[in-house]
Amino acid sequence: MELMQWFFMGVLFTVGVFGMAYLSLLVKLKWYTWASLVTGIALILFGIGWAGASFLEGVPQSGAMALMFFCGGGLILMLLTWRYLVVPEFEQAGG
Amino acid sequence: MSQDQDTSKVSDGAEPQPDSPRSAADAPVSSDNILDDRGRRTFLKRAALGGGGALLGGVGAYGFVKSELKGSPVSDYPRIDEAVFKPKDQRDTVLTFIHSKALNEKHPERNIQYNQLQHKDFNFVTGFAEMYSLPWDNSKPGYTQLDRALQMAGWEPLVVAGSRYVANLQPNTPLHAWDQSAVVEERYQFESEKNATDAFKSAARLFGAVKCGIAKRDKRWDYDPLYDIENNRELSWENDFPFVPKTVIVMLVPMDYDAMATAPAWTADGTAADGYTKSSVLANQMAKFIQGLGYHAVGSGNDLGSSVPYGIMAGLGEGGRNGALLSPGIGPRHRICKVYTDIDFVEYDQPHSWGITDFCKSCGKCAEACPPGAIPMMESENGGYGFEPNYEFSDEPGYTWNNHHGIQKFYSDAKKCYNFWVENGSACGACIASCTFNEPDMWHHVFIMGITPKTPGPLHALMAELHPKFGYGHTGDSRKAEKFWTTGEGMRTNTEMKNNIGTSNKS
Repeated sequence: MELMQWFFMGVLFTVGVFGMAYLSLLVKLKWYTWASLVTGIALILFGIGWAGASFLEGVPQSGAMALMFFCGGGLILMLLTWRYLVVPEFEQAGG
Repeated sequence: MSQDQDTSKVSDGAEPQPDSPRSAADAPVSSDNILDDRGRRTFLKRAALGGGGALLGGVGAYGFVKSELKGSPVSDYPRIDEAVFKPKDQRDTVLTFIHSKALNEKHPERNIQYNQLQHKDFNFVTGFAEMYSLPWDNSKPGYTQLDRALQMAGWEPLVVAGSRYVANLQPNTPLHAWDQSAVVEERYQFESEKNATDAFKSAARLFGAVKCGIAKRDKRWDYDPLYDIENNRELSWENDFPFVPKTVIVMLVPMDYDAMATAPAWTADGTAADGYTKSSVLANQMAKFIQGLGYHAVGSGNDLGSSVPYGIMAGLGEGGRNGALLSPGIGPRHRICKVYTDIDFVEYDQPHSWGITDFCKSCGKCAEACPPGAIPMMESENGGYGFEPNYEFSDEPGYTWNNHHGIQKFYSDAKKCYNFWVENGSACGACIASCTFNEPDMWHHVFIMGITPKTPGPLHALMAELHPKFGYGHTGDSRKAEKFWTTGEGMRTNTEMKNNIGTSNKS
């Protein structure tokens, strides 16, 4: 199961990198917007890794906390960044 | 459209030439022609750069954590108040005292004072027998016949070997015999000190050590005089010990995470007993190995010298608030054994720091979990850290007879600790189970251990508070015992292969 978890995280990582690269083709973003998005993705990946390990070791409370704080935090960060920093760039670019 | 807006769409200007040859696979995939040839190259280039950068970051973080796990050498251990410090008489340790009728008759005031101050009617000597005679209750998880049988089975090999009292500091037991008649006449010549060190540590690993370090023999940590409990006889290093030791090889044997998590239930003592058995066998095998190379060697458990400072000197960990050696990755969930030998052609390890003792100053979870309150709380003077005991009643003359005074560390009241064992019907282990450094063998705990030395003090308190919030370190939870008794499920294949440092990964 642990190997499956790392494989799944590898897939997510690849999707994240390709998504970022694709986004970079669509719109030019400021450095702090990228930093915020990358941090968000890193937090989500970290949270998934933490949660997976916690469930595997038999401490589901730790897994739930990781999903709430790390993944939730990362998701909120990405959503806010998208709403307030990425979308305006799209609009400014004439989207 | 402004110039700014012109450049914000990166794909602009990447229109395909109408006359360029193009296969079906090269056809644009969107109406905006984002992934035409030039766009695709840009896309892949950025993906590679981004992915490569992220991978480099990951490798860097991994390297950082690995490096931090090695710890930083420290030069200021031990800090000693020379005006107070003197070698520790083995007779003034709780585990020796409670097993010696003669010592109890010599010092009746110790028992009287303890009972007066603690409002108890407790007998240090008879307590040990009472402890194991407490009847089981099959309706109470952790205190059932199953748990008592586990505990007794854990000790059994030591009983059979006549070495059960090695846990109580009895020297010269059959497993840790002082007899040196098996020393081989021809001395094996190692090519180098590193060669010798690697050989000793490889043998220790094979025989079951999870960690092994080598320290110089240090008289400050040896009990002096030694005391033969069974024969009520004082022993001296100069006249009775068979050789002059120069080196002490210190080894850690893991205890099971899931069993220890049941503390203070009897189940936890099952792994403590098993840890004593395995560490005694390990020290016995290592002593025999060294004797086979032509050098003198005597195995040791709790006897001969204080294991925690020797563990620190061997670079295996730091002293914790609970009085145990906290070793990165396993915390206090281990048993320490040692081998005293006269070979000095080795590379000695040195004390290291991982920020553990500093963390203990901000944590205090073990003190909160300790059922009898034997560990100094955070609210104690200096947080319980100093050169003298500063727990409850430690200012009463003679009350701290069991402590080794004059060393800067956390002092605990082992008398109260032992008193609880007797009431509990078993040794406890709550300070081990609740420790923030006692974690299962998974990557996120290794990561946290790795970044701990670089985190500032105020964050330590937050990390300590989050530990139980994340579901770790709870004690006195009967569900843990129920969980433990399911950890054998799937053991036919054990596909996770996670028993290497005492984590079943099955709870």
